[in-house]
Amino acid sequence: MGITGTREIVDMLHGEYKVPRGKLVVVDLDVVDERLYRVSLTGDFFLYPEEALAPMIAALEGAPAGLGGHEYCLRIARVVPPGTEMLGFSPCAIGIAVVRAQESQAHDR
Amino acid sequence: MIAEQLARWREQDWRLIPPRPLAPAENLALDEVLTQRVGRGERPPTLRVWAWASRAVILGRFQSVRNEVNPDAAAAHGIDIVRRISGGGAMFVEPEGAITYSIYAPESFVQGLSFAESYEMFDRWVLDALGELGVNAWYQPLNDIASDGGKIGGAAQARRGGAVLHHTTMAYQMSTDLLGQVLRVGQEKLSDKGIRSADRRVGPLRQQTDMERDDIVHHLIGFFRARYGLTDDTVTPEEEAEMHRLVQEQFSTRDWTYFLP
Repeated sequence: MGITGTREIVDMLHGEYKVPRGKLVVVDLDVVDERLYRVSLTGDFFLYPEEALAPMIAALEGAPAGLGGHEYCLRIARVVPPGTEMLGFSPCAIGIAVVRAQESQAHDR
Repeated sequence: MIAEQLARWREQDWRLIPPRPLAPAENLALDEVLTQRVGRGERPPTLRVWAWASRAVILGRFQSVRNEVNPDAAAAHGIDIVRRISGGGAMFVEPEGAITYSIYAPESFVQGLSFAESYEMFDRWVLDALGELGVNAWYQPLNDIASDGGKIGGAAQARRGGAVLHHTTMAYQMSTDLLGQVLRVGQEKLSDKGIRSADRRVGPLRQQTDMERDDIVHHLIGFFRARYGLTDDTVTPEEEAEMHRLVQEQFSTRDWTYFLP
């Protein structure tokens, strides 16, 4: 608990990806000076242990904006602790949602 | 069923905590308490059948409130918003609308099984018990109970301190209009469901069995007892006190429910 803390996400960029036959991955973030900030990762996925969420978010915090989904996927995959079980989603599913969140900026502004 | 799985179940000394209406936050806190107790060896493996004192939206561990719930509609109808310790999706439950149970087992119970295999094993008895009621039900990986008449329910697990919590909720009867007002279902969430559109139907058990809710619950408990063995039990005063403490400190707090706003 307390992974990201309570905070306002009204104006943040928002991306969703539903894994085929899997779960929904939702990413909210800000882009400041071409970098990702205030990243939140939510959804109806299963993750064991729960604490594995924090390093995945940390791997995205401050990462360059505008990368491809695969680049974000690799950044996340590198920090997933050994023995972690990700059910219904994957580092690359998160990568897709990160890219979609940034595309929402392109559409909205 | 597979003999190896039957042996796993029968090796355990299962206890039953029968239904007692609890507030939504109390139900979730009690799951945490009993999981910890089983993990520490202070309680034998246990089946708890839930009862609800009021309506609630129960969010999965990793879901954002904003993405799943319409808070104005929930408030207008007096519906609590709470967060559980297991992952998975949001549920809307009403006191007579759902059948929920939790199974608390030591981690040794699922040793050698993948997570997906363990999900199915925990609910295998329910599929067979429903079969006796004329409902042809099966497990749809990862965590759904499906049937000829539509989706019946879903399961979620949490693992901590040497124990596994597996809880399952099945629809008995649905207030689909209220559910549609309170829960948000985005387009993306539905995006891959076109290829299996039959699964989108929900088949509440009342519609499929024409039985009273209590009679179904009684049948399920009797089935578990006959197959695996089950000794009647209650929540101890210590567990009750711990539940109340966790309601105050965690499950009824805004910090917990809105930690992913």
